[in-house]
Amino acid sequence: MAEKAVELVNITKKFGSIIANNNVSLEVMKGEILAVLGENGCGKTTLMNMIAGIYFPDSGRIFVDGKEVVIRSPKDAFKYKIGMIHQHFKLVDVFTAGENIVLGVNDGTKYNMKNINSRIMQIASRYGFNIDPQKKIHEMSVSEKQTVEIIKVLYRGADILILDEPTAVLTPQETQKLFEILRRMRDDGKSIIIITHKLHEVLSISDRVAVLRKGEHIATVRTSETNEAELTEMMVGKKVDLNIKRSEPKDPKLRLHISNLNSTNDEGILVLKNVSFDAYSGEILGIAGIAGSGQRELLEAIAGLEHLDSGEITYHDPKTDKDVNLRDKTPLQIRDLGVRLSFVPEDRLGMGLVGNMNITDNMMLRSYRRGKSAFLDRKKPKELAEKIIKDLEVVTPGTATPVRRLSGGNVQKVLVGREIAAAPSVLMAAYPVRGLDINSSYMIYNLLTKQKEAGVAVIFVGEDLDVLIELCDRILVINGGKVTGIVDGRTAKKEEIGLLMTKTDKIENEEATDDAE
Amino acid sequence: MKRILAIVMALVLVVAGVVCLTACKGGNTETPSDSSTSGNEDSKVDVSKVKLGVICLHDEDSTYDLNFINAVKEAQTTLGLSDDQVIIKRNIPESNQCYEAAADLVDEGCNVIFADSFGHEDHMIKAAKEFPNVQFCHATGTKAHTEKLDNYHNAFASIYEGRYLAGIAAGLKLNEMIKAGTITEDQALIGYVGAFTYAEVISGYTSFYLGAKSVCPSVKMNVQFTGSWYDETAEKTTALSLISSGCVLISQHADSMGAPSACEEKNVPNVSYNGSTVESCPNTFIVSSKINWAPYLEYIVKSVAEGKAIDTDWTGTLATGSVQLSEINDKAAAEGTKEAIEEAKAKLEKGELHVFDTATFTSEGKKVESYMVEDTNEVIKDGYFSESDFRSAPYFDLEVDGITRLNVNFG
Amino acid sequence: MQNKEEKVHEPLFHVSKRSSMPLWESTAIRVASILLALLLCGLLVALFLGKNPADFYVSLFKGSFGSQRKIWKLLKDIAVLLCISVAVTPAFRMKFWNIGAEGQTLVGALASAACMYYLGGKIPEAALIALMFVSSVLAGAVWGLFPAVCKALWNTNETLFTLMMNYVATFFVAFCLIKWTPDGSSSLGILEHGHLPRLFGNEYILLIIVVVLLTVGMYIYLDYSKHGYEISVVGESNRTACYIGIDVKKVIIRTMLVSGAVCGLAGFLIVGALDHSITTETVGGLGFTAIMVSWLAKFNPLLMFVTSFLIVFLNQGASQVSQSFNISNAFPNVVVGIILFFIIGCEFFINYKINFRSRKEVK
Repeated sequence: MAEKAVELVNITKKFGSIIANNNVSLEVMKGEILAVLGENGCGKTTLMNMIAGIYFPDSGRIFVDGKEVVIRSPKDAFKYKIGMIHQHFKLVDVFTAGENIVLGVNDGTKYNMKNINSRIMQIASRYGFNIDPQKKIHEMSVSEKQTVEIIKVLYRGADILILDEPTAVLTPQETQKLFEILRRMRDDGKSIIIITHKLHEVLSISDRVAVLRKGEHIATVRTSETNEAELTEMMVGKKVDLNIKRSEPKDPKLRLHISNLNSTNDEGILVLKNVSFDAYSGEILGIAGIAGSGQRELLEAIAGLEHLDSGEITYHDPKTDKDVNLRDKTPLQIRDLGVRLSFVPEDRLGMGLVGNMNITDNMMLRSYRRGKSAFLDRKKPKELAEKIIKDLEVVTPGTATPVRRLSGGNVQKVLVGREIAAAPSVLMAAYPVRGLDINSSYMIYNLLTKQKEAGVAVIFVGEDLDVLIELCDRILVINGGKVTGIVDGRTAKKEEIGLLMTKTDKIENEEATDDAE
Repeated sequence: MKRILAIVMALVLVVAGVVCLTACKGGNTETPSDSSTSGNEDSKVDVSKVKLGVICLHDEDSTYDLNFINAVKEAQTTLGLSDDQVIIKRNIPESNQCYEAAADLVDEGCNVIFADSFGHEDHMIKAAKEFPNVQFCHATGTKAHTEKLDNYHNAFASIYEGRYLAGIAAGLKLNEMIKAGTITEDQALIGYVGAFTYAEVISGYTSFYLGAKSVCPSVKMNVQFTGSWYDETAEKTTALSLISSGCVLISQHADSMGAPSACEEKNVPNVSYNGSTVESCPNTFIVSSKINWAPYLEYIVKSVAEGKAIDTDWTGTLATGSVQLSEINDKAAAEGTKEAIEEAKAKLEKGELHVFDTATFTSEGKKVESYMVEDTNEVIKDGYFSESDFRSAPYFDLEVDGITRLNVNFG
Repeated sequence: MQNKEEKVHEPLFHVSKRSSMPLWESTAIRVASILLALLLCGLLVALFLGKNPADFYVSLFKGSFGSQRKIWKLLKDIAVLLCISVAVTPAFRMKFWNIGAEGQTLVGALASAACMYYLGGKIPEAALIALMFVSSVLAGAVWGLFPAVCKALWNTNETLFTLMMNYVATFFVAFCLIKWTPDGSSSLGILEHGHLPRLFGNEYILLIIVVVLLTVGMYIYLDYSKHGYEISVVGESNRTACYIGIDVKKVIIRTMLVSGAVCGLAGFLIVGALDHSITTETVGGLGFTAIMVSWLAKFNPLLMFVTSFLIVFLNQGASQVSQSFNISNAFPNVVVGIILFFIIGCEFFINYKINFRSRKEVK
């Protein structure tokens, strides 16, 4: 048997009354890729943070190379050659890649950017990274930034790398490339722990899988000896049907006509470029794209929250059979026009809900103006809150609980439940399953499908291409604020969408080559 | 980490407490407490039934209030009052809170209550009306003679006399400088740092000027107001700017060390106010005048003890010991200063000399023949302006020739 | 243990957040912190003043409850402080850091005083009082409006703006006082007209009733009205407010109008019911103390009854200690500071748990 690189023994960590990790013991070998699998909130990130020195365990012991250690800070972690690449990158935007990598390193050598860069290139070529140390972070794509983060850890000499959901921000192609590198690092003798909740990735990259559920370590199995269904059952605790029932759109009618939208953000950058598409009743229109490609701006523009430079947003009212112009209308004006537009924004607690308010008060956000009284009517919102808690199985002590106390999935159920309760004719949802457990995710998919079957035009912004392909009737791909294609959900291939997500503009490309010549 | 911070902060608080306490303690121990025997010998009045309440605008941190608090302690010693017989209320603003404080003092059994700040007056009158059996005395106020209440009284001191005497010292110093050839007669210019353009200040600097002029006829004076009773920086910069504009001697009517320290820095002679500053200004301090409130406090306590009426307007004088001059600093003062002051003081006490003798000054080029204060009171009598006569608070606010106001500041 | 695991150094303690705590437990912590503070203060009194700590506690208590008059003064002072605290609360709930209550109250007071000065005796008393009320409320509202409009339109920093407005108010009052006092003394004295009526022969009762009603009213406004709801949403998240179609600018301006108007009302009450006069010190820092009262009460107007009592009680106690011990206010103020420090500091122990190093289980 190979040597143990890190061993955790009986680690327990509590946050108040919440037990994040309960008596977890696991180990990772040298030259091994270990996947830590579990649903959101199962404590896998907390566990890894304790190895990386972000948190300190309430009890339990950590061994590195067979010796017991105490890791109080990331600095301690580096002492034991442990490095973690977090989901949210911690880079200085205005610095170059090289500067970011060397930031905080105090190895006693003279600060010489040339030497540093050559060392970076050495690491890059060893594992097959593509990196330009002179490039500034703000000019980089997400995957390039990730590369910087990984090299930063390697530069400090880490032998044990922890990656928290590294593929969440990557396209299928980029994911494949990252996996290649990880395998090369494993073959070089490094230990890699990859935190994820995506099953197919676990199966393709890892040697062993440790499954966590509700803070408990369920089992560690050899990847070659397991399968998707078994892992899911371990993760969720029961058998789960992973199929989405996609029905054929019934009697699709034009509901929303978007033409030539252009929008500039506060920094003067064009975030939407000539976006045009139609949304029909009775169908789910998926929107795919790398995070930050203009999805948020597009939905917010439709909802009346984003300023437009030009373009038209026309709503076709099914009752009056008339076209309503929504451009440059405030959300209130849109509502007053009788347009029943529901919107589940990406930022749930920062936009869709108010974290410090209880569930009842959050129910009122859209409807509190009802009635002429100067005072609030909390009766109906309370009833609605109770109904949503019951129907969507929201786990909460009661309607008076502040929403921020709920777990991510329950927060999302409250938000989606409220937006659906408004009986919309257009329902827009941005990343509605992000951070949700499998059960909750499928519940949301089913809710969206039900809305579609009820004749609602559903617009769904998603990040998991497998889901988009299973759920949506049509998929619009957005790339750098531009629509690069609209494909049929039933026939589209993942790779095809992936290409559209990363395809650079032909004209821009030509210009670039012209300049080069 | 946060716990350590908490401990550190608590320690800081404790240390701060110690520092300010030692300061307080120091203040307390200076006044001797073995007074009961010696005090009673002087007064020969049974003061055991009197309880004195004192209302102060601020506390010991303000030189103005410190002067009163020290006077209270002095009077307490002289009269042999026990600690239970004196209550001082500090930090009482010039609002209804003054009335509340007075009423509270009545509840505590005080039968004579004294307030030290001008703005306390109306609230003291309100209390006086409500509690007719308690005597209310107010320093610097102006309304007792018009309110005509039996139990409400104003008091001030003829500080203008003190200033006049201090002015003589200044004039002699100028004479010395002229004689020595450091300045010419025309360059005998005094700079004066005033607080506000109020009668109290005007009366003060005019009497000071007239005192100087009585021995040095060519003297002129520039006055600049800071707009604050206590602003060390402003007083210092004002003094410095006066010095640089040609003033060869500085005096002030404001409470900080700003002007004296500026003088010591520039080696310009200084006539101070509110107590001697010789310790920090050994080379430039000449003399200082101040009001001592202890005689008044002793007077009101004795009056209450004997059941005698208190004067509606009481003006402390050189004779009562209310107006005091400090020791003269021989190092800075001109020769013969002490004798000249003594001489003038004797004349003032005898009534042979009047500070605001209309023969000694002109206003707008003319001799002042008549001047009305508060519409009905003619204050030019027997050839002089009778200051602090019909009421104790100063009201001399004429612009006298020879004095230039560089600015005005009413706050 | 030391010999066994010399290389392992667990930190002495580490801090973790508590999720919630039963009410009795948090109450116990609060009471314990006050007792601890008093104990420490007693120790300081014994150490540095050489006095009996019991005398100190008695004085502290007597300051507020020593006589009937003191109790009334306590109630009155609470009412005035509470009024301004309630006034700043809507803005604070909106996370609009209005530290200009001092100035807003002062201009309210000035407006009342101006009515009394110019119109006193010329119009009927009832009309005068009504006019004072209206002008004070308007003046306070206008003083709150400037920073609100600038914040809404140009996103200026409201903290600095409202702070600066305090100075403007102070100098404005100073200017008026010079104008109104021809003798140059800047002391206006008690104005004869426009005194609020005494109820049951007590000059404080009307004031107290008004403030109690106001406080309850503000509680209802903030927690049960649509306006209050909008304030909460804007305070929590501008983006949420936009998302549900709240006009954030309008809410900012409206809320600051309310905040300023109530401050103006406080000024009216101070001048009309208590001082009948004005100086630059009329508000005397209450506008800043009110911020603490509001904050300690977690912006809940009803809880402010308790927090304002606490502050006034401590201040009156401190004055009484200064009086009884015949010392300057410096020491009592340190003591009050220590007590407040403990009271505020104990919130840390309510929100966080301290885990001390425990003996390791030996396997």
